[in-house]
Amino acid sequence: MTEPLRVIDFGCSPPLRSQTLWHAIGYGVSAGAPATLSFTRPAAPYVCLGYHCGTDEVDHDYCRANGLPVLRRMVGGGPVYLDADQLLFQICLPARAVPAARWQALRMLLEPAVTSFREVAVPAALDDDLEICVGDRKICGHGAGQIEQAVVVCGNLIERFDHERATRVLALADPAQADQTLALMRRFVAATPVAPEAFQAAMISAYAAALGLGAVAGELTGTERAAVGDLDERFTSDTWLAGPGRPVPPAGAGPRVRRVKVRAGVWTLSATCAGAQVAASVVRGAVDQVRLRASGLNGSSHQAERALTGVPLQSVAQVLARYGEPGRRLAAAFAAAEPGRL
Amino acid sequence: MQRSQLVIVAGFPLALDRRYHAETHMWVLSTGPGRVRIGMDPLGIETSGTLAQLSFVPAGTELIAGRPFGQLEAAKFVGPLVSPVSGAVLATNDKVAVDAGLAERHPYGAGWLIDASLSAAGELPGLLADPAEISAWFAAKIADYRFRGVIAQ
Repeated sequence: MTEPLRVIDFGCSPPLRSQTLWHAIGYGVSAGAPATLSFTRPAAPYVCLGYHCGTDEVDHDYCRANGLPVLRRMVGGGPVYLDADQLLFQICLPARAVPAARWQALRMLLEPAVTSFREVAVPAALDDDLEICVGDRKICGHGAGQIEQAVVVCGNLIERFDHERATRVLALADPAQADQTLALMRRFVAATPVAPEAFQAAMISAYAAALGLGAVAGELTGTERAAVGDLDERFTSDTWLAGPGRPVPPAGAGPRVRRVKVRAGVWTLSATCAGAQVAASVVRGAVDQVRLRASGLNGSSHQAERALTGVPLQSVAQVLARYGEPGRRLAAAFAAAEPGRL
Repeated sequence: MQRSQLVIVAGFPLALDRRYHAETHMWVLSTGPGRVRIGMDPLGIETSGTLAQLSFVPAGTELIAGRPFGQLEAAKFVGPLVSPVSGAVLATNDKVAVDAGLAERHPYGAGWLIDASLSAAGELPGLLADPAEISAWFAAKIADYRFRGVIAQ
């Protein structure tokens, strides 16, 4: 007999519940509940931090002033703006049912989502960075995690995307970085305004087929309902919101750097080093737009900005070497902002 | 670690001066009576993908074998770092928490994860300890992962 794929549509949920409901499923599946595909739509906008995000990545003053709760999820990824124009979905399986290699598990659990997009005439593809895209535009955010003995991958159907607000909720170093981040968001993050009911139906079919399970409408177990209450409490505690402790670099040590990832290979940076300031956007390893400030450039900043546009990151120092000591300071700021793990 | 204790097995470095937990790819190095250092071997790291973040429970936290002592994030996937021993966390590696790539570059050295005291030394014999046994296990794992396409040929 075919094992069940429990399907739960939570409908509209308050921001907190739009997270805690599916986290509770993680605990349920870990304890023996069947594999589950769930859906919910935030009843109100909010900001959600990935498990390892720093709280300083979000502009809390703006969020407070605009009534946007800030929550932290147990799965990975960056800070995201979520609202009622996004249908959130989650697929949750026992950890033993997915490959141990994370990229294989992600591919296995994201491919049915790609199939679903294609079913509703969105020519989506899973790219080499395991992002769901149409062309070079990301159309679905995702995160994944293991909750006890269950693996969950979550994502969203973005029916409309408020690029301005998604940028505004981020704590950015300066207006130049804000402008560049917004420009990249508009260029590389796209909505797919399809009928959500059709998408949902396509997802149920695609996940059931891919996992060899029989889709059955279901609801939370008693254990899961109890877990929701516990999670509501945990997710609203200051300790949880603060996130896992990260060592704090000593004050005043080294350059000040802020990096924001828009999608894989697409990010902005702002760095200040010895009085030299850089704000740049980077696309696939090359400088896209750049704003430079450094004493001693003597009016050649625009020339240097033009010279850097399109230059691969590894050649930036070479180009800036033409600008003497200020160029070296700018190169140091760039080097400090290397993407590292972005 | 003495150079002679580091060998290359099918392209992956393997330190033979420590014990291994076969399932989790965690290594356990004795650092004194009842004390160990814990890290992840290169195969465990390779199968995780490019490490983005590592986080640990605070020093002083009780360790239970088979339970998490921290989290690892790679490819937006957050998963547990599972302890191979029981005891208590004595210290966590701040450097690897700031730069997760350190665990990739120096898995047996600067990329260590935590220092711990042992509460149940009896658990250590459950780890692979004999160099010949470790080498055979490691080689078999590499072959299996390559066969299944988990790691590159």
